[in-house]
Amino acid sequence: MAEVVNVRLLKAGDKLKISHEATVVVVSNPLDGVWIFARYLSSLEDPSLEGTEDMIFAQDIIEVLEISGN
Amino acid sequence: MAVSESRIDHLLLKDEIEQFLYQEAELLDERQFEDWLDLLTEDIRYWMPMRRNVKFGELDREFTREGQDINWFDEGKDTLVRRVNQILTGVHWAEEPLSRICHSVSNVQVLKATPSVSQATEVNVKCRFMIYRNRVQTETDILVGKREEVLRSVDGQWKIAQRKIILDQNVLLAKNLTFFF
Amino acid sequence: MATKTKGRFVDGLVDLKSGQISREIFVNEEIYAEEQEQVFTRAWLFIGHESQVPKPGDYFVSGMGEESVILCRGRDGALHVFLNSCRHRGMKVCRYDEGNTPVFTCPYHGWSYATDGKLVGVPFFKDAYHEKLDKSKWGLVEVAQMEVYKGSIWATWDPAAPPFTEYLGDFKMFFDLTLEAWNGTDEPLEVIGGVQKWLIPCNWKFPAENFSGDSYHNISHRSVDMVGIGPSGTGRRDTQERADSHRLQVAFPDRGHQTGIYVLPGGSPTAASYQQSPEVADYFREAEEKRRAVKGEWGRVTGSPGEIFPNTALHPRQPRSIAVWHPRGAHQTEVWRWYFVDAGAPDAVKDFLRQYYIRYSGPGGLTEQDDMENWNYAHSASRGTIARRHPYSYEQGMGSEQTNFELDGLKIPGTVMDLTEARSSEQNLRNFYKRWAEFMDAPNWNELAGWR
Repeated sequence: MAEVVNVRLLKAGDKLKISHEATVVVVSNPLDGVWIFARYLSSLEDPSLEGTEDMIFAQDIIEVLEISGN
Repeated sequence: MAVSESRIDHLLLKDEIEQFLYQEAELLDERQFEDWLDLLTEDIRYWMPMRRNVKFGELDREFTREGQDINWFDEGKDTLVRRVNQILTGVHWAEEPLSRICHSVSNVQVLKATPSVSQATEVNVKCRFMIYRNRVQTETDILVGKREEVLRSVDGQWKIAQRKIILDQNVLLAKNLTFFF
Repeated sequence: MATKTKGRFVDGLVDLKSGQISREIFVNEEIYAEEQEQVFTRAWLFIGHESQVPKPGDYFVSGMGEESVILCRGRDGALHVFLNSCRHRGMKVCRYDEGNTPVFTCPYHGWSYATDGKLVGVPFFKDAYHEKLDKSKWGLVEVAQMEVYKGSIWATWDPAAPPFTEYLGDFKMFFDLTLEAWNGTDEPLEVIGGVQKWLIPCNWKFPAENFSGDSYHNISHRSVDMVGIGPSGTGRRDTQERADSHRLQVAFPDRGHQTGIYVLPGGSPTAASYQQSPEVADYFREAEEKRRAVKGEWGRVTGSPGEIFPNTALHPRQPRSIAVWHPRGAHQTEVWRWYFVDAGAPDAVKDFLRQYYIRYSGPGGLTEQDDMENWNYAHSASRGTIARRHPYSYEQGMGSEQTNFELDGLKIPGTVMDLTEARSSEQNLRNFYKRWAEFMDAPNWNELAGWR
């Protein structure tokens, strides 16, 4: 099982695998430990989401794919 | 096992500082305010910041800043003398009748001694306080926190040159601060 | 013209014909509960100052009556005041005192609100809510009206309340004495960092009436006058300009606001002040000269403590401070005190004032301490069954109030008491309670806006 991510620590540029077969890149972090602002890189379930931005809930994050170099 | 000289020196210094702080607390508890004033240097800085609830990662903003922000106290010798004088008028109603008070000082740490432990003329001290204040019939305050202070030896007598009082409260739970920390 | 409100309070528990007010209004818990509805949901309440939230995302948690509210500047720069309670299950969405944030997120179930109060984040919105929740209906509860008046921020829950400047009425010019720069212009003020907050064991109306214009209680402050904490080294403030002035009380019966003022005779020289520091003394001397030039004849008027109904207290001059008396039950008040300086003043002036303010006001203040002792024990001594049968006396100076008062060519609005000879009057206190009684009896703002 993937370890529980502390959403507070995510940074802009980090790439995440999220629920509903999507991947996103973090745009900004409100530092509330609950949400991050992200942009869809891919969405198998709903391709129209690709390129759009949304708030992503901590429990919808399945895995951190890549930590940004920032 | 031989105990090194510096350990004994440290022990002796710490004991001396503790005795001084207990003696100071005694004066305040016994309402010997003018004698207490004599334990303060002429250039004493006595201040107590306020505390905010701040977000994790922003703890540098937890305390109000020295010399810039509103604090609970920001005193020099002159205003401390005036505070004592006000109590001694006998008509400072917030302290008339006088409060009953008990200063408990603990966790005394001598953090630094200048120029040396064995020849110290100035020490940086940190300690904890618990002040129990009871007045009139049932009015009771218990204030707890830390003090960071600088003591200086003046003519062979320790005196308080700096005292920063760190109270562990946000909204002050006492109706007034008519007493000394 | 609105009908005169009359009921349990007007001409009842608050009997201004005889000048007697029942102790029940201070200690009775049922009256307190009614008051939260009748007064605090309908009046304008002080929230804070613009200088506390200068940038988008800045917030300051304040209070309205018993309730916690968030003052926030949105991304577009607009100010908002919201109830600090998640719409879902009530948890406080902000337990910090102040800061900057893009969103307010509830830690309980994760609902998240933007800085304009809109609900923007709902966990499992698709999976659990099937996107059926109408987010637009579930934003943070926002006040009905909010206004910024010369940097001060006010709000009310009542959409029927008159706009704030109308609520102030002619008291406006006296509130300005607290809000204008020392030189009489609209140059900005700033709040010195750190709002003092502390609990006192008395009903909020004790401090409210005191600041309304208790001209009688100087005896209580004798000890601080003796030791001398004033900025020139004596007394508790500079008194020369007061000694040279006519001392007046000004009250606005329709509004419930009142204050003391001092009026210098025409041609009076600027009194020396702040003599403990030559730099500060010079700053104030120049400011005073400019103030007289800018304000003309009205530059002869300086302020002393006043109260904007119901619970905002003003200290316009020495010190310069606004306090709010937040009700915390019938028997307790949480005081919040803001201190002001000219934003553009030199650091040495700000520092001098800061230290003066701290030793004057607040729980460490040598003046305010004695006020609080009196309020504390006046309240506790009034809780008993026998004590409650005996009303307080507010008869001082009854019948001596004047309207259309003119002094040295200045027409002073409102009803006025000249205290220069009389030395004291309780006119302002009666005025405060008159308005309080009206709020308690009136069913709505139609009855309260008697001037319309």
